[in-house]
Amino acid sequence: MSLNQLSALEVAARVRAGELSAREALEASLAQIHAVDGQQGSLEQKPLDPSEEQKVHAFIRLTEDLARQQADEIDRKLSAGEDPGMLAGVPVSIKDIFTLQGIETTAASRILWNFKPPYTATSVQKLIDAGALILGKVNLDEFTFGSSSESSAFKPAPNNPWDPSRVPGGSSGGSTASVAAEEVALSLGTDTGGSIRQPAAFCGVVGVKPTYGRVSRYGLMAFSSSLDCPGPIARNVSDAALMLQVIAGNDSKDSTSSVVPTSNYLDALKEGVKGLRVGLSPDYTHLFYPDFETGELAMESIQKEISDSVQHAASVLADLGAEIVENVPLPNAKYGIPTYFVVSRVEAASNLHRFDGVKYGYRTPVEVDDLQDLIRRTRAEGFGSEVKLRILMGMYLSSEGYAANYYQRALKVRAMIRRDFDCAFDPHGEHRLDVILTPTTATTSFKRNDVFGNTVRMQYSDQMTVSANHAGLPAVSVPGGLDADNLPIGIQFIGPDFREDLILRAGYAYEQATLDEAWRSVRPAVLRQEVAK
Amino acid sequence: MKDYEVVIGLETHIQLNTQTKIFCSCKADSWEAAPNTNICPVCSGMPGVLPVLNREAVHKGALLAAAMHAEINPVSHFDRKNYFYPDLPKGYQITQFDEPIGKGGYLDLHMPDGVTRRVRIHKLHLEEDAGKTKLDHGLRLVDFNRCGVPLVEMVTEPDLRSAEEASQYLTQLRQLLRWIGVSEADMERGHLRCDANVSIRERGSQVLNTKTEIKNVNSIDAVRQAIIEETKRQIELVEAGGRVVSYTLDWDADTGKLSMMRSKETEADYRYFREPDLLPVVLTEEEITRVKAELPELPLERKARFEADYGLSAYDAEILTSERGLSDYFEAAVASFGGEAKTVSNWMMNDLSRLMNDLGKTASELVLTPALLAEIIRMVEEGKITAATGKSLLRKVEESGREPAQIVEAEGLAVIADSDALREQIQSVLDGAITEVESFRAGKESLLGWFVGQVMRATGGKADPKRTREILLELLRK
Amino acid sequence: MSISKISSELFHKLVGLAALELTAAEGAYLLTEMNHQLSSVNALLQVPLEEGIQPTLHGIQCLGAGPRADAWQPFPTPGEILAGAPETEDGMFAVPDVKGAK
Ligand SMILES: [Zn+2]
Repeated sequence: MSLNQLSALEVAARVRAGELSAREALEASLAQIHAVDGQQGSLEQKPLDPSEEQKVHAFIRLTEDLARQQADEIDRKLSAGEDPGMLAGVPVSIKDIFTLQGIETTAASRILWNFKPPYTATSVQKLIDAGALILGKVNLDEFTFGSSSESSAFKPAPNNPWDPSRVPGGSSGGSTASVAAEEVALSLGTDTGGSIRQPAAFCGVVGVKPTYGRVSRYGLMAFSSSLDCPGPIARNVSDAALMLQVIAGNDSKDSTSSVVPTSNYLDALKEGVKGLRVGLSPDYTHLFYPDFETGELAMESIQKEISDSVQHAASVLADLGAEIVENVPLPNAKYGIPTYFVVSRVEAASNLHRFDGVKYGYRTPVEVDDLQDLIRRTRAEGFGSEVKLRILMGMYLSSEGYAANYYQRALKVRAMIRRDFDCAFDPHGEHRLDVILTPTTATTSFKRNDVFGNTVRMQYSDQMTVSANHAGLPAVSVPGGLDADNLPIGIQFIGPDFREDLILRAGYAYEQATLDEAWRSVRPAVLRQEVAK
Repeated sequence: MKDYEVVIGLETHIQLNTQTKIFCSCKADSWEAAPNTNICPVCSGMPGVLPVLNREAVHKGALLAAAMHAEINPVSHFDRKNYFYPDLPKGYQITQFDEPIGKGGYLDLHMPDGVTRRVRIHKLHLEEDAGKTKLDHGLRLVDFNRCGVPLVEMVTEPDLRSAEEASQYLTQLRQLLRWIGVSEADMERGHLRCDANVSIRERGSQVLNTKTEIKNVNSIDAVRQAIIEETKRQIELVEAGGRVVSYTLDWDADTGKLSMMRSKETEADYRYFREPDLLPVVLTEEEITRVKAELPELPLERKARFEADYGLSAYDAEILTSERGLSDYFEAAVASFGGEAKTVSNWMMNDLSRLMNDLGKTASELVLTPALLAEIIRMVEEGKITAATGKSLLRKVEESGREPAQIVEAEGLAVIADSDALREQIQSVLDGAITEVESFRAGKESLLGWFVGQVMRATGGKADPKRTREILLELLRK
Repeated sequence: MSISKISSELFHKLVGLAALELTAAEGAYLLTEMNHQLSSVNALLQVPLEEGIQPTLHGIQCLGAGPRADAWQPFPTPGEILAGAPETEDGMFAVPDVKGAK
């Protein structure tokens, strides 16, 4: 097994034991990036060699120098007998929405093409402090606005390592692609409506959206402040638990970050699922899609192989001693996307006000003598279409005369979505669930340009994930099989507030019980080619 | 011409005197700082950073609400007010919209003619200040030092009926802010800013007519003048058959003129919504009780007590309660002196206030403590030193920090009451003023005062005045 | 169910308020997409709201550390903030003047 296939836990254990130097781990990771990543995302429209079609393109920017310094520091600490940290020598990529002091942080947008923040995001700093090697910044949908990573202003956008003609999902598509392609062991992503879990499902990796407030948002460029959650992306549940352990906790720089103590997530994995009450909901077997002319909602079934995987996972857990509780009603989940359209757009429009060409980032090169002109042109040239769309929608939905019907109403529907979960998890209620098991997505990965441009269809890609964001609950997507096209399927566990330990336990139990299933030996296409070479 | 009355509402912005800004740990006061040196990623609107509320800003806001007799909201919220302007780095201002820290409240104006007018408070909320911009040959230059400074915005109901009342409101508000210690309230430094909404109507009418808003007035006198000007303009306009249009007016203090800034007919849509980066501000019943208990005796209450308890005139009581430190000083001096409060009041109203003026010090900044002042007054009252010596001691103690008795001893300032020594001094004065002695003896007795003055000069003011007079008369009439 | 659509007039007003400029093609595309999104959003208008349901801002009841102490901690490198600006003069952020105040 090559070094790059090792889990983060294994790398850290070997580095800490002196069996592997951080520098070796780093060079192996860089070699893999050079082998499979291809041309990095860039604002210049460079002509692409056809061979680039088969590459991953996860990265926007490599931070080799920084990573080498970090590796040398870890190796120095080891030889000095100091503790190099829980993630010593583990290669990590960072979604380019988190600030890292002195390193360009672009949000995959032209408007921040040259922005070098003088501050580091708390979660990134915690990774660094734990000894992780920051290999670079990975691509995403512009400002995280999307579910395919195709809206990035930095082209080429990332491909799905399982089928490079398909999208990795999004918005943390560069993160999940870099982990799936074994370029790094871990990646830091963000999840606002499903942006960690949906691409994790599409790329066959584990993605955790922690409870709102469990991981600090400081240094995460805001999309929708009341929904955004930084979280771990890894190739297995233990690594995700390890990374969560590092980044979780209260932060005095984020008022919404929680003072609830963190658990020991790694230890919790071992507790198994015996006696755990696992819910299945009929409201997660289909989605309601609007007719654009009549507004009527039509029911669409989810991909059969995905519902089969969920059923299979339920039976695996039942065999391990979990109690499966069927027919748990979550009736308001079907309003998740309409509610999200409102809440996230209103907050996004406001959060993006600050990009005006006055203080940092892009400013129109056109000579203007009026400030309003400068701001309009800067934003017109600096933002991509999807960003403009979200700003306009947010302006509309929060403007006087519309806000009462839309924004205020959406906040109430959001409360109803939350109440459904409260009932399901109520320890004295009818269902008394520990976790809820659902599909992560309604389909597996789609072809590039198939959905991109149809912004409603793209948004409905988050139908199964978005309700956990509305409710603030923790949720994890774990690989649950492959479909007929050898594309990964994700299954999701949703848990009560701050019970990341429960969803990780369930995910881990399922993962360990299915290690021998045939699909697990199938490798992503880009890695199969690599072997063939 | 019809009989018009003016209807005025004031919108004030009060800078709280916390140590740091409201949402970041930069200094609140950067009056002296070079541009953009008192900034951080939070107050300069960088992406990804988050506001963290300053506890003291909440505390001072609540204290002010209590002082205004407003109800302190147990749960208040912050909201975003969205608009583009280069002095607003985030593109939105964090403010309190529909659930502010204070609800209701009033300030009673005591007009010089004895009339009391109650001015109701329409709105009292916490918010962050914006930066400053200035024009420089076609460029607008922006300084973010002031961004995020904690403000209380306080808006009155249209309850004021004259420019004098508006100016009285600001005078009392400024006094109150300093009194309870929430703001330096220095208008020139922008600690207290005021916009005035002005409309006119026929006296007796209850309608509220179209108002104009006067901005950029940075002294109490300017507010008064600007309102007078605007009232005059509106009356002339209406008398000439015109109609008042809702405008924002800019006051130019140099020319004393108002100029139109922009029409307010189309009110901007700020798209207020709750600030998701902050949690609700919760004040428990206990905390609210504590804030109220912390509220000191307010100026008007203290003034009334000074009149009742110390027998001060309304005028003296008003002066001595114009500033909290001064009134505290007075009470401490009275207690330490133990005699007539009126005596202390006289000393403070005259000589001490002159000294404070000369030195530019407030009462609480004096080295001359209330106990030291009391000691000086006591020595004068007991005849140990003359009043003139007492007065000169004020400055000597203030400048040296030494005990008055020590100074009297060291400089030999005690009254010369010994008759022989004094007689000798007086005789030598008379010996040197033969002409005047003759005039006196010829009947010009009004010269007595002049002789006393000469003796005082000769003795450095230490001669006991009563004894001097007796000896003089005795020797002159010999 | 009748569907309210965003008119072209309102759309252009929003573009102005959002401080954006669009090409005709971009504008047409975005307006179409907005109206499509609105057909999803309008489902909210049909939701039977539970009686007494209170709006929620975060879904979860946040348990934060509460307001901070009023202690000065200067940012170590304010100069770096200014250094990132597109244009500065005399230590200040420089922009063209605001013209044509409405
Ligand atoms: Zn600051």
